[in-house]
Amino acid sequence: MRIFVRTIFDKTFTVTTYLVVLMIIALLVIILGPMLSRGLSAVIFKDTIEFRKMQFALFNRGVESRILQETKETNAFRQKIYQTIDKFKQGIDTEALTEKARKIYREFGQQLRYKELPPEQFTILRTQAKEIRDKLETAFASQDKSEIASCINNVLQYRDDQEFKDTATEGFFKLALEFKNSVEKTDLSKHYLYVKSLQELESLIIELLGPRPDEPLPSTAMNQFGSTRWDIAQRIRDKILWTEQWVEHKPNESLIKIKTLRAEQFAGTDIEPLFGYIKDNIEQILKPRAKFYWQYFIDDSTPGHYFGGVGPEILGTLLLTVISMLFAVPIGIIAAAYLTECSSENLIIKIIRMCINTLAGVPSIVFGLFGLSFFVLFFLPLLGFPSKPCILAASLTLAILTLPVMIRASEEAIRSVPETYKEASLALGAGKFKTFMKVTMPAALPGILTGIILSLSRVAGETAPVLFTGAVALGPMPSSIFHSTRTLSYGSYDMAVGDRIAMMVPHNQYGMVAVLVMLILCLNIMAIVVRSRMFRKLHGH
Amino acid sequence: MKRIIICAVIMAVLAAAMELFGAESTENGQPSQKTEKTLLIEGSTTVGPIADAFTEVFNKTYPDVKITVTKNGSGNGAAALVDSRCDIAMLSRFMKPEEFKSAVDKGSMPVAHVIAMDGVCIIVHPSNTVTELTTSKIREIYFGKIKNWKELGGPDMPIVVISRDTSSGTYETFDHFVMKKEKMAGGVEYVNSNPQIHTRVKTTQGAIGYVGVGFLDADVKGLKVDGVMPSKETIASGVYSLSRPLFLFTNGYPALGSVTYKFCTFYLTEKGQEIIEAKGFVPVTHY
Repeated sequence: MRIFVRTIFDKTFTVTTYLVVLMIIALLVIILGPMLSRGLSAVIFKDTIEFRKMQFALFNRGVESRILQETKETNAFRQKIYQTIDKFKQGIDTEALTEKARKIYREFGQQLRYKELPPEQFTILRTQAKEIRDKLETAFASQDKSEIASCINNVLQYRDDQEFKDTATEGFFKLALEFKNSVEKTDLSKHYLYVKSLQELESLIIELLGPRPDEPLPSTAMNQFGSTRWDIAQRIRDKILWTEQWVEHKPNESLIKIKTLRAEQFAGTDIEPLFGYIKDNIEQILKPRAKFYWQYFIDDSTPGHYFGGVGPEILGTLLLTVISMLFAVPIGIIAAAYLTECSSENLIIKIIRMCINTLAGVPSIVFGLFGLSFFVLFFLPLLGFPSKPCILAASLTLAILTLPVMIRASEEAIRSVPETYKEASLALGAGKFKTFMKVTMPAALPGILTGIILSLSRVAGETAPVLFTGAVALGPMPSSIFHSTRTLSYGSYDMAVGDRIAMMVPHNQYGMVAVLVMLILCLNIMAIVVRSRMFRKLHGH
Repeated sequence: MKRIIICAVIMAVLAAAMELFGAESTENGQPSQKTEKTLLIEGSTTVGPIADAFTEVFNKTYPDVKITVTKNGSGNGAAALVDSRCDIAMLSRFMKPEEFKSAVDKGSMPVAHVIAMDGVCIIVHPSNTVTELTTSKIREIYFGKIKNWKELGGPDMPIVVISRDTSSGTYETFDHFVMKKEKMAGGVEYVNSNPQIHTRVKTTQGAIGYVGVGFLDADVKGLKVDGVMPSKETIASGVYSLSRPLFLFTNGYPALGSVTYKFCTFYLTEKGQEIIEAKGFVPVTHY
């Protein structure tokens, strides 16, 4: 009976361990899988001509002649979109038309002044021009087709007048004709609807294609280009083709979303065929191509990480990690040596050890605030350096943060070296120092390295300690350790809490996080390889 | 031997890092150290994006100015200015009396530059039929007195009340104008950032929250407050009540012609205002 119970316990134990392992693997897959796969989309994706233009403009990358050629080809296709919209707008955007008419009137007034006409004729012409202008404005403002027609006809009567030949007023007649043509095809009662939908359409097209080639470039890089990625371009294309509306389906219940073709809104107008055109020619308009953007790992980025890569962030993270390790490793090992070799187990040692353990559990933000008030505000000015957040202060803070882990791991490693090793060394006449350096340390190194690995990963990923001591969201490359730097961890945080930009470029957000995870993985693998080499050497294999 | 390997690895990493610096700095064609000017900007996460974009454009005109931007909250920006750890502090609220006092005690005189206006918009899920609320109704929702949209003429749905964390400037604005400094109900859900509140409302049918006007898009529905729809015009003219100015603070008025002066007055230029609009804020002047 007792054997039976024991077997059951054993079996349950085995099964439980298997289950737990499976759970951990599943967790890893759930956590890391999406992060890495989505992060990968920052590097491997389908780019568009806009991406190539951006790369050329910002990073001077790519063959100029080819980009120019492609731009020319795509512009030929885009021109038709712009023309269609402009043509349609002539009948819709009455505010702009009114403004135009007024401008023409002013110009005409200027021209008349230089003609040296007799005063009466001057007054007559001016009054006529004013009449034309007012008629046009009435036509633009009107919702009634017959009224518009009569106004326009009135205006066109003046067309054959000799006095108006070759003056600015010819613009009036051109406007009138264009307006007449476009009004014939549009339903004026839908005017308001058209204006609204057209505005939406235009902003979507800017999002897709960037600013028009003949317009001045916006000042920030993120507005200078259209959608640089094919997946985003497709999303915008769908938004152009379909509109989403929330409508009531039952009283006193939530609205439901319905999708309608945007073309239906514009049914019967000049702009209707545009949607089919965009749908059919989107590939010619944007020229998508598969892209392996390895420069993501070295490129600088535009503010908010809208374009570009994570080069400065990777560099900053590596710098902080390495410099903090330069401080933490020697101090950690020496402290561990003191705790194990040079002191006897007394109350003071116990208190010290307890303090170290407590330190290991202190939240990292506390270290960050300590680093700010001690290193930045006190220590650096003491040494005569400017009291500004910098790499040195951040590294020192990180070193302190990781010291407890270092000390604990080194202590365990040193303690696990067999007493006999040391005794043999001492018996051969070596001193305490020589024994430690030549016998204990080498034997304990693999264990110490485990501590270093753990510290490395923690340091690379910490945000709070560097938040106040040396990390910036935006800044130039550091040229000394007295400058602040960008880091992957703070960059991820900044993107998460920042503005709308991160919501527009989720791939860059995932990319940065994935790079951080990969970097830690690489550091760990490197340390593990070094450790196993050392272990093999030590054991004479 | 092993130590040599470790040393070699560390050296290699350091060398590679230094190499990269060198390459980068010559690539950018940065001038020698003598003409280099630095500008440290610190503070609010709301104002941060404006400073980011200003930096981008500013650097095109003045390539030898090195600007760093850190976004760690209004309070920290104010503290950094007091300690003269930064040249310009970004704040989404005015300096508190005690911050002002400690600045004056340390011999610095904070000067405020209002660079943009921001409106706090009440948002709900687009499926919600409610389009308008009064300030007192919003107050009652956040006090937990109104618990269902039915009471407001909407569908029969419990209200999920979402708020920003109490340390944010957006919360302070909301607290000041709507809650009149009284505590919210216990059931209110607090989230840490504007994108988060946006996502939460976008995905929750009965949710109500508040964000900066720049986060208003097709995924969420902005509500009229006391009959006024938040827009650039209504915020700039003050008709929409839930709006606030965004500040840059400097230690004294910057010396005319200095880099700090140029940066602090950049919002007056056409480019500066274009950027502010592109970032979803409201410029203080018309251009």
